[in-house]
Parts: sequence; C-alpha cells; structure tokens
Amino acid sequence: VKFGVIRFPGSCDEVDALLACRRYGEAELLWHHEPDLRGVDTVVVPGGFSYGDYLRPGAIARFSPVMEAVAEFAREGGRVLGICNGFQVLCEAGLLPGALLPNVELRFICRQVEVIVDNPGTPFTRACVRGERLSIPMKHTTGRYYAPDAQLDAMEAAGQVVLRYAPGSTDNGSSRDIAGITNERGNVMGLMPHPEHAVDPFTGSTDGGRLFASLAGVPAPEPVAA
Amino acid sequence: VRIGRLVELEVEDPSQVGEMCEKLLANPLIEDYEIDLIES
Repeated sequence: VKFGVIRFPGSCDEVDALLACRRYGEAELLWHHEPDLRGVDTVVVPGGFSYGDYLRPGAIARFSPVMEAVAEFAREGGRVLGICNGFQVLCEAGLLPGALLPNVELRFICRQVEVIVDNPGTPFTRACVRGERLSIPMKHTTGRYYAPDAQLDAMEAAGQVVLRYAPGSTDNGSSRDIAGITNERGNVMGLMPHPEHAVDPFTGSTDGGRLFASLAGVPAPEPVAA
Repeated sequence: VRIGRLVELEVEDPSQVGEMCEKLLANPLIEDYEIDLIES
C-alpha cells in the first residue's frame, strides 16, 4: 500500500501520520498546492490548523488544489482518512456528513481516551473486532460531532458510525458519543482522536496502529501490556 | 449563546454575497448568518 499524507500550511501532525503509515506501507507527503496525488492509493488528511483555521476549522483547506484531487479520488472510491483537522476538512468539503462544533465546555481537551469499535466492517477497521476498545489520544477544541438526528439515525442504520467514545471517556459533547464516521459508501473516514500518536509502544499504546494496519492489509500490532 | 463573527467586505456586486456565505463564510449546517448591505 502507498499512503499519501497531505501537508497544508499549518498542519502539525503530518510527520507523525507519515511515520505511522511507514510502519505499515510506503508513504510520502503531498503538498497542498499540487493537485496531483502522485499515484497513492490511500490519502491521509492530518491534524493541525490548516491555513491557520481563522475563519472556521477546515473552511479554507477544502478549496485547496490538493483537496480538489482528493474529492475526485474519493468519488472514484479511493480511501481517505481524515484525522482531527482532517476530519473537519472532510466535513467542510462535503465528503463526510455533519460538522464539528466547539467542545461543549469551550475548552481545549488533551488526554488519552478509549474509543469503542462500532463497525469493524470498514477498510479502516477491519483489523479490529466489534466492541473492541482502542486507547488513543485526543487533543482538540472543536471536536463535538454534530449532525441532525434524522441523519444520525440513518448513519447508525447504515453502519457509518465506526468509533464511539467509551462512556465517561470524553466530555466534548459529541452527538451519540461519536468519535469517528464514514461516508455512505464507506471509503472516506474521519475521526477526532489521533491514531498516529499511538503506534509506538513508547507512547503506552499501539492501538492506533490497528487503523493503519487495516488500511495496509497487514497484521495489527499486538496490544501493549498494561 | 455563542457569538460568531462579523465579516466586513467591500464588494462590487452584492448579489454574490449570499453564495459567499453559503460556500465559505458560514457553514449553513451549524451556523446562521445575516447580510446587511450598506451603500457607500
């Protein structure tokens, strides 16, 4: 598998994402100004503050040349993973339903959280089992997932809710504790927590590696013993 | 109440402002907006 990780001005997690991808396959950075995905077969839209995010997270990035190519790639069925700011960008771009609102307490939250795998039947989670708990960090101010109730019902029925925060794990106020979703077709996923920061035993958890291993089609890392 | 933002624009053709709000200046799923036109 060949991953492409986008770098926008203001991205900050693209190198961690690149290094995480390289544990499971080939990976290279894609510059925001190039509308060319260089033949990659999976795109990662990383965390950070694309173009400064002064207007609204992801609002400017969706108009970048590389995102036009990503939209076309997604329409053709290409796999796209948006993490944190990348999730916000994909929602703004209309590639994922819903939006991210400021955390309910309006404060930055940075902590290790547990997320529960609700749908292991996606290309992003196939190395996981239903109900499995993943320990990965979250760090955001604007991570409260929102979509209208009727849309949430439809998404749940269609298996588009992939990850939920474990009870008591977060207080960002996300609708139905949603941490990660896919589009209807299942080839585009966004999540607020950061799997790329949980791939090395040094950090205490390799659970984030399960998502990258799923995409690469290789065995998932063994959990780090508690 | 969350206070949003006030954007002041000088435009030649005010008929485009609505579309600018829909596509960029606001996310209609989570934000409301009002347009006040001030002739100079």
